[in-house]
Parts: sequence; C-alpha cells; structure tokens
Amino acid sequence: MDFGSFLATPEIKVKVITYRDIFQDKAMIENRFGEGYRNLSAVIKLDPVDLKQLNVKKGDTVILKNSFGRIVVKVDESGYETPHRGIAYMPKSPWSNMLVSDETGGTGIPKFKDISVTITSAKGEKITEIEF
Amino acid sequence: MEKNYHVCTGCSLLCDDIEVEAEKNKINKVHTACRIGVAHMKAGKEEAIFRVDNKPVDEATAISEAAAILKNAKNPMIFGLGASTNEAQKIAIELAKKINATLDDTSSFCLGSLVEALISEKIKTCTLDDVRNKADVIIFWGTDPSDSHPRHLSKYSYFPRGSEKQRGWEEERTAIAIDVRKSHTAKICGNYFFQIPPKGDAEFIDALIAGLSGKLPKTSYNYPPKKILELANILKGAKFGVIFVGRGLIYSLENLEPLFRLMKALNEKANFHLMPMVGNYNTMGFNENLFAETGYVNSVKFENGTVLHGPEYSIVESLKERTVDAALIVGSDPFSILPRSIVKNLLEIPVISIDPYETLTSRNSKVYINTAISGVEAGGSATRMDGKKVSFEPAIETNHPSDETILKKIMEAL
Repeated sequence: MDFGSFLATPEIKVKVITYRDIFQDKAMIENRFGEGYRNLSAVIKLDPVDLKQLNVKKGDTVILKNSFGRIVVKVDESGYETPHRGIAYMPKSPWSNMLVSDETGGTGIPKFKDISVTITSAKGEKITEIEF
Repeated sequence: MEKNYHVCTGCSLLCDDIEVEAEKNKINKVHTACRIGVAHMKAGKEEAIFRVDNKPVDEATAISEAAAILKNAKNPMIFGLGASTNEAQKIAIELAKKINATLDDTSSFCLGSLVEALISEKIKTCTLDDVRNKADVIIFWGTDPSDSHPRHLSKYSYFPRGSEKQRGWEEERTAIAIDVRKSHTAKICGNYFFQIPPKGDAEFIDALIAGLSGKLPKTSYNYPPKKILELANILKGAKFGVIFVGRGLIYSLENLEPLFRLMKALNEKANFHLMPMVGNYNTMGFNENLFAETGYVNSVKFENGTVLHGPEYSIVESLKERTVDAALIVGSDPFSILPRSIVKNLLEIPVISIDPYETLTSRNSKVYINTAISGVEAGGSATRMDGKKVSFEPAIETNHPSDETILKKIMEAL
C-alpha cells in the first residue's frame, strides 16, 4: 500500500490519459458554458481500487494538483474491465488543459498526453470554473 | 424526387449526404448526420453579435476597431482558420502578408508534421473512397473515430460495401486498434485491439517491424511476442492496407522517423497507405493553401515579402515567448484548447475573435464578431481529410456575415 493512503486525507498519484467523447463534443457545440458540457468534461475516471484508497465514491469531487494547476472535478469509475491502478482518464477540455505543462522544449507542441497529478478528496469543494 | 443534400462541416469527413428540415431559417430536423453533425447543423443563432470591450456595437465599429488593433501592432498574429472555407483562408493569408503577421493554425500542435509529410509526398496516402472500395486491413492508431469522426467506420473504413469489397466487414475487412485505452473504436475491433502503455508506441513500431521480417518482437513492457507476430502476419497479407493516425500516436513519438520506417517495412511486404485523422473541417485546406503559398503548412511569419518558418512562429511558442503583441483569432478557441499555463499570456495582448460560437476566447477578446457557420449559414469550399475538394451552399439564410466577408472588410479598412 502507498504511503499516501496513511495520510489523514489519502492521496494518490496518477497519470492522466485524455480522450475525446462524442457526447461531450455535442454538449460543447450546444453550449460550452452549460451544465451539460461541464458534467461531461470536469470529470476524472479511476480504477475502483483507487477510488477506495482515496475514500471517495462516484460523484464526489476531488482535487487534482500538479505544478501547473489545481482543479476540482467529479470522480467516476472508469468502467474498464482490465484493472488500471495509477492510470486515470479525462475527456480533453479546458479543465484537463489546466494541468498541462508549459514545457515544450521549443517544439511548439505541449505535452497534452503526459499529465501526472496527485488526487485527494475535495470534501465537497465545488467544481472549478473555467472562466479566467 | 430530386433531393437537396447539404454538407456537414462538423468534422473533416465533410459528409455530403445531409438532409435538413427548416422553418423560418431555423433548422429543426437533420437527417443522416451523426450526433455531432446534428448539433452542428442546428447551431445557427438568430442575432448577429458585434462587441468591443464586451459592449455591443455595430458591425462597422467592430471592423474599424479590429483594423486599428492590427495597424497598431508591431508583431500581430493570425491564428485558427481550421473552421473557415478555403476562400476565407486565402484572404487571411493575404492579410497576414499585408500586415507582416505570424500565421499559424492548430495543426502546429496536432498533426501538422504528418500532413506536411503527406503534402510533400514522403508517405503514401489514398482517398476515403479508395478505403471504402478497396481496403482490407484498417488500423486505427491513437485515434478513436467513433467519437471524433463518428461516421468514419460506417461510411468509409469498416462497415460499408465497396466496389471491390462486396462482402464488407463480415468477411473482407479486418479492423485493428492500437491505443493506450479501450476506446469505442477499439471495442469494435474486438480481438484486434492492441493495448500498449503510454509512450509505448515507438517500441511497438520497432517490435512490429521485427515481426514483419520474422524476428522475435521484443518490448520493454513485455508485450506478448505471439500477439505482435499475429498482427504482423495480418499486415503482411494486406492487399490494400491503411493506417489512420491520431494524436495519440503522434504525441507519443519524438519525431516521425519510426512511422516512416514502419511504412517502408509494410510496403516491402504489402500495400499500405496512411491518413492523418485531422479534426477541424478544413484544417487540411489551411495546410494546403499555406503550403501552396509558402512551402510550409503552418508556423510562418511574413516579413516584407519573405517568409520565415519554424516552431518559434507557432501559436504555442509565440505566446510562451511573448513575441506577438496582438492576435486575430478566426474560428478557434485557444483559451480552451491550449494549456492554461501557456494561453494565459494571451490575456496580456488585444485579441480579435471572429467565431460563430461564444467561447472563452470570444469572452476574453477586445473585439468579438459573431459570424455565420460555414456549410450551415454560409457557402464556400473546403478540403476533406483525404484531400478531396468539397463545395457547399448555405442550408439556411442568415443575417450573420461570413468570416470571409469580415476578413475582406478588415483588409479594406487597413
């Protein structure tokens, strides 16, 4: 068991894989400031064992944090049959982009698919707004 | 009965078999389109909006303010245009020349390097119609068209009958997915889904090349060699193979060299083509139009008749290094699609947003001009993801100006 799970508020480290979702894209076309788009975007999907370790359940909010940003999103179970502890999934959105590094090595290409974060329970804190 | 078909500009497939029912210039029903296409075709708004400093103004005021911003800038940038017609893109290129602007689109941080290799004929490609008619082995690598290009599999790549594939997917086509997650497309591929770890693509390519020449395929993540050999055997037997490449693969590679090697190895044993899964409906058009003008597909700066090119002229590096002092953004939402750690710098310079949609970028712009949705409210032409030219008429009438009209007016005002 990771050291993080002995903390008062359990904390785990995950790699985040982003992806596109047709339902989310449809919601974005309809209203990118609407609740529908937010519900389908501000979410992270975890392995059920990782959920348990964080002591959170489906629908709770969690804090995702790294040196580039801190956001609060809802947590969900991934639904994948194969266990994937330490790997989490997020639809590509302004929320996931708050966690992407500004390091590009001068290539012009950010590391969109190379995101690592720590997760803890947000204890009811509200989902982060995307407005600047 | 003659039917009136429309073109959907919801993605780069540019489906040309769409029927709509409209009343009072509002589309109520959309037939044949996918979930994204239906939402896209119905997205037309009633009122045209022009804003300066978040206050409503008339069109002339918005145009003259936009022109003033560009005139006063020493290093303006023009960005976007993937959701603009070829006609609008060509005007934007002229405008960039006129004001010595940096010009870039989303391809600089998406699939631009691959598109440039195709346009320069460094990789064998084909059309989507070829795929429908002939393809027997189809690979989806780091891409999930079931979500991003929803009619890709049903219209072209897997399910349809084709002139040389009358027995279709049940008997004559093998669809393969290589990805870091079991996407909706991967589920359709069933036993031909190869799940690899993040950043594992280059090694998988090497292992596959070894497998193609009968050597033992090895990876540091111990992918079962038997499965890779099984895949290599399917690929060797392809009479018309195609690899659809998405960002999942491109972001995982340091450069395109492993992909070039794979295509070479495949074409020594079989017949393989490659097609990038570009997203916006006319990114391909932008890349082609800019290439025709400059020899580059993106990331250029015009300077008194000469063209400079390199990653330093991409949107990402221009913002990171704060080298541009004003931005004209056409049909794109960098505030949403770029890392916040980089795009926050855009808040420091005046932005002109020309877009059919209210976006984070429009809300953070000094000037916002709400334009017609091309294909729905304005006509023109575009280039499909496979290079095919597609023309379209507006499906409904609107009082919104097209981005082509607005760009022309800004040009005149300068």
